[in-house]
Amino acid sequence: MRMSLKVNGQAIETEISPISRLSGFLRDVLGLTGVKEGCCEGECGACTVLLDSQPVNSCLILAFQAAGREITTIEGPCRSDINDLQRAFLEMGAVQCGYCTPGMLLAAEGLLRANPNPGEAEIRHALAGNICRCTGFETIVQAVAIEAAARQGAGR
Amino acid sequence: MNQISRRVPLVDGVAKVTGALRFTADLHVEGLLHCALVFSPHPHARVACIDAASALAVEGVHAVFWHENTPARFYNSSIWFAGQEALADERMFAPIVRHVGDRVAAVVADTEEIARLAAKLIAVEYVDLPAIFDQEAALLHAGLAMQEDGTPTFMNPVAYESFVRGDTEAGFAAAELVVETHVTTPRSHHCAVETHACIAKPEPDGRIGILSPCQSVFAVQAVVVQALGVPQEQIRVTKTPIGGSFGGKAEPILEPLCAFFALTLERPVMIRYDRDETFTATRTRSSVTGRMRIGISIDGRILARDTETLVDIGAYCTGGNYLPISMLQRLVRLYDVPAERYRGRAVYTNTVPAGAFRGYGSPQIHTIAEITLDIAARRLGIDPVAMRLRYLVGPNAIEPWQGLDVGNARGRECLIGGADAFGWHVRRLGDAGQGRWRRGVGLASATHINGCCPGFHEETTATLRLLPDGRAELVCALHDLGCGADTTLAQIAGETLGLSACDIAIVPADTDSCPYDLGTRASRMTYICGEAIRRAGVALSEVIRAAAVRELNTEAAGMRLEAGAVRRPDGSGLALSELAARLVARGAELPSATEIYRAQANPGSYAAHFAEVEVDRLTGRVRVTDYLAAHDIGRAINPMLVEGQIHGGIQIGIGYALYEDVAIDPVTGRMRGDSFSRYTLANASEMPPMRVVLIEEGGTDRPVRRKSRRRDSDHSGCGGSGQRRQSCAERRTDRPAAFAGTHPCLRGLR
Repeated sequence: MRMSLKVNGQAIETEISPISRLSGFLRDVLGLTGVKEGCCEGECGACTVLLDSQPVNSCLILAFQAAGREITTIEGPCRSDINDLQRAFLEMGAVQCGYCTPGMLLAAEGLLRANPNPGEAEIRHALAGNICRCTGFETIVQAVAIEAAARQGAGR
Repeated sequence: MNQISRRVPLVDGVAKVTGALRFTADLHVEGLLHCALVFSPHPHARVACIDAASALAVEGVHAVFWHENTPARFYNSSIWFAGQEALADERMFAPIVRHVGDRVAAVVADTEEIARLAAKLIAVEYVDLPAIFDQEAALLHAGLAMQEDGTPTFMNPVAYESFVRGDTEAGFAAAELVVETHVTTPRSHHCAVETHACIAKPEPDGRIGILSPCQSVFAVQAVVVQALGVPQEQIRVTKTPIGGSFGGKAEPILEPLCAFFALTLERPVMIRYDRDETFTATRTRSSVTGRMRIGISIDGRILARDTETLVDIGAYCTGGNYLPISMLQRLVRLYDVPAERYRGRAVYTNTVPAGAFRGYGSPQIHTIAEITLDIAARRLGIDPVAMRLRYLVGPNAIEPWQGLDVGNARGRECLIGGADAFGWHVRRLGDAGQGRWRRGVGLASATHINGCCPGFHEETTATLRLLPDGRAELVCALHDLGCGADTTLAQIAGETLGLSACDIAIVPADTDSCPYDLGTRASRMTYICGEAIRRAGVALSEVIRAAAVRELNTEAAGMRLEAGAVRRPDGSGLALSELAARLVARGAELPSATEIYRAQANPGSYAAHFAEVEVDRLTGRVRVTDYLAAHDIGRAINPMLVEGQIHGGIQIGIGYALYEDVAIDPVTGRMRGDSFSRYTLANASEMPPMRVVLIEEGGTDRPVRRKSRRRDSDHSGCGGSGQRRQSCAERRTDRPAAFAGTHPCLRGLR
């Protein structure tokens, strides 16, 4: 079937299989391998992308469900330089092996768009569906809190 | 250049936060074929017949492999180098399967989808054989059938190790109180978020190139050579970025198959396990049943300790036969007990094989020992901190088993400093609450090793050379597993050369271009490889200084490397890029230096962990509400990465104590915890706030004075939480279903 959607700001019109997962479409058809696969059953969050501004497990969504919507993957935010959220992750040590990182960043970005001033418990709740086996989540939560405070200060 | 003790972000961090870093499954390889495996649903069975006709008829299928058309060669996936002695009992595909999830057949096809579809069409007839899932029962079992005729090749136990020091009988005879525990540790899984994956591709010269997210390219090479029976030089292995390992990717599981398929089909092949396969068909931490007795005098002194361990190594030996001795090594390095007896055995069962997992034996033995010690402290009415302080080994203690110096052991400082920072003494006596939820605190001590000395070829070779652009290249077969080893080691190199960490270009580990190294294991990277790199850096800085002196026609005295330049005492000098450019222009060799470092010691790293928990008296649910970890780590090259390692270890440790277990069904042999929905690990909401205290007393045998900074975090974590389950442990120590704190007010919970 044919569908049109926006991926990382770019309009795309494409032929897709009606049984194709969004994660598979993004990785295999569009080559956006920043979308990771860790379980393919919505438990690990590695495939998190933004559907419009909402974080979703792209393995649990069929590609055609994204028709007419806007998808943001980790390849989206960075054109020339890393953004402040990415920088906060690096400077706080919120990245180790890096496999969960794209999904974690997009889950955090989704939170900050929906709730610009989250408390620690809200950050932890928003990231509860993203598994990280390296960091114990401590520095990830700190990095998101720092970025939230920075955005508040900057009035973004 | 002040690179040491700095919170330097990961040198490969930008690639990680932008998604630009390509993991194995992200690589594009022209003409790549994909693979899907058929796994045994039976715990022990003869594969009577395989009908692959329907699978082969599927369009896009290239081949089906099983035991009849693959090498009938036995190998051991845990070997680190060619010729290492190890029980070789595994085959690519066996005619007799030995656990649920054992490999039966594989389909190679144009796409993974086709391969998985065709794999479902393979008809396999099994003839069931008796299966054993319990390690105690396995002791009576004559071993698993290896040959077609059912003859057992190996008898249980696979390994039997014992150790005696002093007169334990006399100790127990004189004891006023004997505390005895029976603890079974869970079988936990690594849960790296990247599942297992591997690519093998034929090279034009007839060789096979393997791309593997591994912990040692040389180990992969050795195992593939053993499995395929090809010459070593035919196999080239390159390490790819790794999405977490924790020991789970230490053993090559997919690589022998992948290499054979690529060799046979003359096409590149990728095998990628899904999550269920990664759970059921790779490795887990071994489950250990321990019986420990300690005899205590009337004045509260430990007189004797007797430990018996039984390790379930699963269906294949791998490195499981080392576990009894590894646990002994860690046991005797923590406390100085006057009379000690240890017996450790390892047995096969019809379950998924056990393998390496963070700490390799330390979490198991420390869980058993710390639970026992805490019960003794409670019976005696002694503060568990005071109890441990009496027996913790101190600096330069000689451990009784191998007679090795444990180095500048600071376990006591961890306990004292940690207790103070945590507020242990106040909180221990605090209010436990009255309602359904009660609060308590607990602690544990732990130790771990640094490298494989004196057991194995514990040395490494590092080469540093000046690049034409003024940076330096490091060749040292490094395998960063995500913990930031590349960054830490680049900081060490940078420190010696007046460069920053990001000016060190690290060559990925590759069997063709790197000298042999044991790989990332046994907490050896910073301590062993770091020292080789430091020496190479010091040597290179001398060569660079000499070259600069010649270029500048100046005095050698006072020349130093600083901020990417060679400088005279007055600050004038020559940028390294300029020096390199001049040398290149003249056709002169660029400075380089190679150093070999062979370990002289195996110092211990020590830790103490403290936790506060809330226990639901109705359901047994436990919430960890506060956590503090104190670690004796020598010197933190990068405190941020050290803390990160400890944080991650705490998450694995809390899971080990509270919920993580793949839970093999005792009747069917199937794994119950075979997905993230059925295997619980602590997520962001469940993790408590964590504080880390670093004890940086350093070592004396190495100038940068570092020790391992990663592994003991999870042993303490498990012990720390584990011995908080002691009140139930006294009655039934096999599962952490519910536990109360060591808080005296919680004793009513027992």
